Amino acid sequence: MSLQLGEKHFSSAQPEAAARRIVTFKVGDRTFGIDVGMVREIKGWQATTPLPHAAPHVRGVLNLRGVILAVYDLRTAIGLGATDATATHVIVVVDVEDKTAGLLVDSVSDIVDVPVTAVRPAPDLERDEHGLIEGLVLLDTDIVALLDLAAVIRDGGAEAQIKTSRAA
Amino acid sequence: MDPLAELKQTFFQECEELLGALEQKLQALDEGSTDSEDVNAAFRAIHSIKGGAGAFGCTELVGFAHVFEASLDHLRSGRVAVEDAPFTLFLRCADAVADLVSAARNDEPATERPDLLAALEQVGKEPQAPVAAPPPPAPVAPEPVAPAANNDAPIGIAALGNLLAMVEAKTAAPAAAASDDGWDDEPVAAPAPASNKPGRDVHLRIAPEQDLFRRVIEPRVVLGSLPADDIVSIRCDLSQVPPLESIDVSDCWMRFDVDLRTELSVEDLHGRFDFSLANEEFEINFLEEAVTEAPQVAEAPAAEPEVSSAVAADLSAILAKLGAAPEAANEPDIQPAPAPVAVAAPVVAVEAPAVARAAPRAPAAPDNAARQRQAVSVRVDLDRIDKLMNLVGEIVITQSMLVECVRSLPYDVHAKTAEGMLTLSRQTRELQDHVMAVRAQPVKAVFQRMPRLVRELAQTLGKEVRLVLECENTEVDKTIIEELADPLTHMIRNSMDHGLETPDDRVEAGKPREGTIKLVAEHRAGRIVISVTDDGRGIGRDRLLAKARSRGLVGADEKLAPEEIDQLIFAAGLSTAEVVSDVSGRGVGMDVVRRNVESLGGRISVDSEPGRGCKFTLALPLTLAVLEGMVIRCGDDRYVIPIASVIETQHLASTPIERLPFGQEVLRWRGEVTPLYRLGDVMGSMGKTNENIVIIAETERGNNVGIAVDEIVGQQQVVVKSLEANYGAVNGASAATILGDGLVALILDIDSMLRLAASGGRNPQSDLKMAG
Repeated sequence: MSLQLGEKHFSSAQPEAAARRIVTFKVGDRTFGIDVGMVREIKGWQATTPLPHAAPHVRGVLNLRGVILAVYDLRTAIGLGATDATATHVIVVVDVEDKTAGLLVDSVSDIVDVPVTAVRPAPDLERDEHGLIEGLVLLDTDIVALLDLAAVIRDGGAEAQIKTSRAA
Repeated sequence: MDPLAELKQTFFQECEELLGALEQKLQALDEGSTDSEDVNAAFRAIHSIKGGAGAFGCTELVGFAHVFEASLDHLRSGRVAVEDAPFTLFLRCADAVADLVSAARNDEPATERPDLLAALEQVGKEPQAPVAAPPPPAPVAPEPVAPAANNDAPIGIAALGNLLAMVEAKTAAPAAAASDDGWDDEPVAAPAPASNKPGRDVHLRIAPEQDLFRRVIEPRVVLGSLPADDIVSIRCDLSQVPPLESIDVSDCWMRFDVDLRTELSVEDLHGRFDFSLANEEFEINFLEEAVTEAPQVAEAPAAEPEVSSAVAADLSAILAKLGAAPEAANEPDIQPAPAPVAVAAPVVAVEAPAVARAAPRAPAAPDNAARQRQAVSVRVDLDRIDKLMNLVGEIVITQSMLVECVRSLPYDVHAKTAEGMLTLSRQTRELQDHVMAVRAQPVKAVFQRMPRLVRELAQTLGKEVRLVLECENTEVDKTIIEELADPLTHMIRNSMDHGLETPDDRVEAGKPREGTIKLVAEHRAGRIVISVTDDGRGIGRDRLLAKARSRGLVGADEKLAPEEIDQLIFAAGLSTAEVVSDVSGRGVGMDVVRRNVESLGGRISVDSEPGRGCKFTLALPLTLAVLEGMVIRCGDDRYVIPIASVIETQHLASTPIERLPFGQEVLRWRGEVTPLYRLGDVMGSMGKTNENIVIIAETERGNNVGIAVDEIVGQQQVVVKSLEANYGAVNGASAATILGDGLVALILDIDSMLRLAASGGRNPQSDLKMAG
């Protein structure tokens, strides 16, 4: 499955140079974004192999052309329960630090150029206890929450498991 | 990296190998071998190191190696009988050379070893007047050719180093050439006066093609194929060597003029070069027939002056060509060489007509068969092999995917492709085996570093130790080899320091004075298992336990089984040495070893028998290995169990299950009580499980366990894929693999699974439900 992504430029007087290009995707009715440079590819849902005693948002591992990578369920990570994955769901393959990982989301919506100045710091949310949200961007209609991918994935570690399941 | 640094790097790599060979040969000689080939090999190793070191300007190394080489030469020439030679000294010198090499490698200041040097210089002196040349200050010119060298001489950069050093020597000031002309340490016995020997005078002009080195042949090999006793003189004609800045070190520009007095016929001589040279590359002239006016060769009573003058002539020719003052020779400002013309006059006298030089230039058909026989090994970048390995892994997966596709085809189509698929699978497997074999290395590579460690420790600790290496040819992946050195060093240190008693204590205990440490490598349960066994006093359990209690690691009234006490040795901060020595005893040894080993997916354990000794067992995976696996299903999930750990499978119904008081299920299997684990419970498999098959598997320590699964899907070779690379360690699994349908299956690790079961950890399913 491949996705055609329409490009929309953020209307702004700011010069292009100071812009961040962001891929946005949806989980439920929420919009999230990450820098386009972190995205390696976008693929359709593919069955994963569960890992024993992993954190709840670790969906399992899959084979991407011979490389085994873990898939994280973003829905679970933000506390909305597990995704009931179907063929229309999407795995965003990302490079985080020195690892490659998959992020299970509902759909990829867009690529937008956002002036750096338009990124606001994330409000200190009580509920975002793992610091998953790095910043917010206001688009025409949506609020895009920029993800700190390292934080999303770090929670896949064994120590976080107890914490997460207790929190859940 | 600049080319010189790269060459230097390669030289140091070769040094490692050469040092290994040197130590091995010296060890063999020390243990009573009288094989002259061992002496030669040791000599050649140190000689190659010296040559390379000279080329790269490692002066301390050259200086030491030179003296060392000179004393080994006494053995070679028979001036010192092999039986009387001080091999302990030689081994210590080999260690010192190793130190110098690593100092040079790391650009550290070298430690001087005047004590060893002095001792070395005494070798061969007592019975005779000093014969050997005094060790000249570096840079020493290594001899360019060693006619007596053997065909299996190590070939490569070190040899190229020889060449470079030789070129340097030739361009050095003539004064140096006169006093120490680079030939006086040449270990050839002075040639017999030509006139006394039966046979005819023969002149050989050897003019190898430029690609000589690339054919993995070097002049030493060529010249070494001549009977050493027949050689009257050898001159190296360097007139063809291009200016230094344009020289390609892998080109051979040397020409040799060899005078022989021999009884060999033309055919015999031809036969001697069969392996190394094409017919166009040498010319044989019988002097009586062809050149009668060559008196200085035929009558030369000794070769020495003749050789010197030839060198001087070569030298003056080169200098003339360079048009430079001798002082400038080290950094020559060389003009492009004129077209090759006949150069040194004295050489010309015995030189065959210009044909000799013209012939090799003709693009004659190379003697391919002969060349291939010489190509024994090539160096390949590990990275390339890794890529190859990954690709082969992909092919294996694709192939099993194809097999599954074909099975779903209608029968008539299936039948047609079946044979092809069978061949394909056989070939893929063969391909895989071969690529694996390329990566594999014998554990010898790391084992051979241990004798030195033991020697040094024995000296420091005042103990007498014999190290026994067994099955050192067991092969394991190169990446693991690199990881073995550290834990092994620690284990041996521990055995020597804590395990073995002092010689007097041993005698008192009724044991031989000399302690024994045995190092054994073997493949077991898909792992490399290395054990270090000593026959010392074993683990002092009382002391260890007392210490653990005092540190609060064990409760004051906690009772431990003897085996459990032994395992405390791996606990952090425990050391039973009464005296903290610089060897060990700070209690940072074995716990660090255990952590490192476990981070590699390995395990370490200890078995001790008080008074009889102690055995450390290290088990490591054969990483990147492809393993033969049994694919099993449990619930919705499939797993792979390494076939090496499977002993037997049977229906659970036919096996009576009993339950122990604490709920542990056990089976009776071959009369033994075997614990039973349900895979679905341990690994938290998804879906409904219906375990009715039991797999009896073996743990690393040799115990049996039963593992209940739903179904055995099949048996196949699987490619081990790391889970750590993109995720992290997974309890119960050592790695993962990709099955024919492209899905991932975990490769179970029995020991890790049992630990998981013991910790009672469970399970993603309920966590998910909670989260949902």
